[in-house]
Amino acid sequence: MHDLHEKHARSTVTAVELNAVTRLFGANPALVRADVRVSPGEVLVLRGPNGAGKTTVLRIMATALSPTYGHGSVLGFDLVRERDAIRRHTDLMSDRTRLYEDLSAAENLRFWCRLLGVDGADIQAALDRVGLLEVAGERVRGFSQGMRQRVAVARTLLRRPQILLLDEPYTGLDAEAHHAVDDLIREASRDGRAVVVATHHAMQRGLADRVLFMDGGRIVRQGEP
Amino acid sequence: MSLLRHAATIAAKDVRAEIRAKHAIATLLPFAATLLVSFGFAFGPGRDVLLRTAPGLLWMAVLFAAVIAARRAYQIESEDGALEGLLLAPIDKAAVFLGKAAAVALQLLMLVACALVLVVVLFDLTVRDPLVLAAAFGLGAVGLAAVGGLFGVLAEAARTREALFPTLVLPLVTPVLVAGVRATDLAATGRTDEAIVWLGLLVAFDVVFVSLGVLVFGFLMED
Amino acid sequence: MEIAARGLGTATSRSGERLLGVAALLGLGLSATLSLVVAPPDALQGEVQRLMYVHVPAAWLAYLSFFVVFVSSVAYLRTSRTRWDRVAAASAEIGVLFTALAIVLGALWGKPVWGTWWTWDPRLTTTAMLLLIYIGYLAVRRITDNPTRRARWSAVIGVVGFVDVPIVHLSVVWWRSLHQQSTVLRLGGPQIEGSMLTALLVAVGAFTIVYAYLIAVRLRVGRLEERAAREALSPRLGEVEEAAR
Repeated sequence: MHDLHEKHARSTVTAVELNAVTRLFGANPALVRADVRVSPGEVLVLRGPNGAGKTTVLRIMATALSPTYGHGSVLGFDLVRERDAIRRHTDLMSDRTRLYEDLSAAENLRFWCRLLGVDGADIQAALDRVGLLEVAGERVRGFSQGMRQRVAVARTLLRRPQILLLDEPYTGLDAEAHHAVDDLIREASRDGRAVVVATHHAMQRGLADRVLFMDGGRIVRQGEP
Repeated sequence: MSLLRHAATIAAKDVRAEIRAKHAIATLLPFAATLLVSFGFAFGPGRDVLLRTAPGLLWMAVLFAAVIAARRAYQIESEDGALEGLLLAPIDKAAVFLGKAAAVALQLLMLVACALVLVVVLFDLTVRDPLVLAAAFGLGAVGLAAVGGLFGVLAEAARTREALFPTLVLPLVTPVLVAGVRATDLAATGRTDEAIVWLGLLVAFDVVFVSLGVLVFGFLMED
Repeated sequence: MEIAARGLGTATSRSGERLLGVAALLGLGLSATLSLVVAPPDALQGEVQRLMYVHVPAAWLAYLSFFVVFVSSVAYLRTSRTRWDRVAAASAEIGVLFTALAIVLGALWGKPVWGTWWTWDPRLTTTAMLLLIYIGYLAVRRITDNPTRRARWSAVIGVVGFVDVPIVHLSVVWWRSLHQQSTVLRLGGPQIEGSMLTALLVAVGAFTIVYAYLIAVRLRVGRLEERAAREALSPRLGEVEEAAR
């Protein structure tokens, strides 16, 4: 089975796959023999208690962490050997919004766009879509968590990543920001881009395609949302 | 080259954030000033002693300031997980090192300018060869910023071991301290040709550490 | 690199380790005999000068160990194979001891000869800086228990530290040459007499074998530690395929 995957390394039938991936932090197994396959356009939800390993799965997919054992690929690129290619096409959103306090929303977006290789011409439009156009020039320091998350959504909108990874994206959000995140997921799925979301919140009906339940670092069962 | 372009983007962002946050003005400058005044009390009030030790004390202040500035350069990346954002960006990680080191070097140069004024006033230092002096501090700032910019990323990940960062950095930058103080002393007394040798050492140090940093920084960021 | 790894494997096998142990004992015995009995006392310094037969080998090992740390660190960064990290860590732990020994003996030797504990002699000063860099290396290893991170970070220190040492030495030598003392004494004296040189070389050789033996032991202990950690972990992991290390 693995040989087949090796041969079709560049195949995009599977957008993301993890094969028996284990991740240890010191002596602590955060993830144990995880097998995950995500297809393009699919919205996969990860559920489970704190410490179940959902964040670890996402971070491994994003290449923020490398697997201790096992291997995997994103868009056909190897998780360990072809990280830069994966990073070009993958966006990881978490409750840490990666914004600089003393820069404005627009300046933050301009900075990240330059590093992420995204054209900065649409920054104003993106901020408008998330309802932050009036505060585009204000320092992020004064923003609420909901506003910050919306800036992050704007950043992801500009990127249009092939793989969208969301880690507890709804935490501490107001209704407007919540909708913005849902729009993001819906749009990505419609475009045939893969989405993986880890969340405690109930998701809007029809948004998710499949659910994986995790506990103690293992995937315990799969289900319909 | 995209490496330099990304480094410039990061450096510009750091400088802009620093101008707004005014951390250097609010913290670094007063720290250096307090340190120099304290040195004055500790070694004075005899003018001879102060004059003789002035270059060394000035460089000590710059050294400590470099440690603080380098720590701070990476602290701002932890505020909201931005460091991971830099890790996940499809850029050469060496750009982060170069950008941050450049921003720290700039801060140190501003600090040096102010500290120099203070030392001239407090310790009655006269400088015969300002060009050599400027070169010494310029090259020294680059060297200190390179080492600090390289290991500052460790300090962020190892927040529980606060003293580790200076313990790592200070032995490594000994050549900068030695060469810088010698060159400053020679510049003050106008012996330019002897100073050139020390400037050469500083150049060598800078070249080595900037190159090393570019080569190995990625290993420090990845997990 | 593979040749080196295979050689390392042979030298640190159980039988290789035992062989090294015996050789080390013999070497030390021979060295002690030569340095304490056969070699004459120094004309100027007397019996104190015999400290040289331990001080110089210790200093030699301080630098040899760090060279090994450097080479292993580069090897680790290029291949990501844990064996190189194990060698680097072992060499650092052993090296720091010999460095401290060299410095202490240097001071002990210096007090009766120069009248002070410390004169900022260039070689001793550089060795003191080396000690600090070693300590930095070992401190970095304690920050994280993530083995890959620990290996990578310490490898970077190993490389950067080693490259820095010659620069430090150069700066200290130039720095010291400004202040020529009225009596500039080389620790070994201006000339070394024949039998003293032999004793010194034998001492250096014996200590090097001791170093190799200690490395072999430390590597074996390291392997045991890792195996114990893996076995403690495996009930929680089920059967986890062991990644080729």
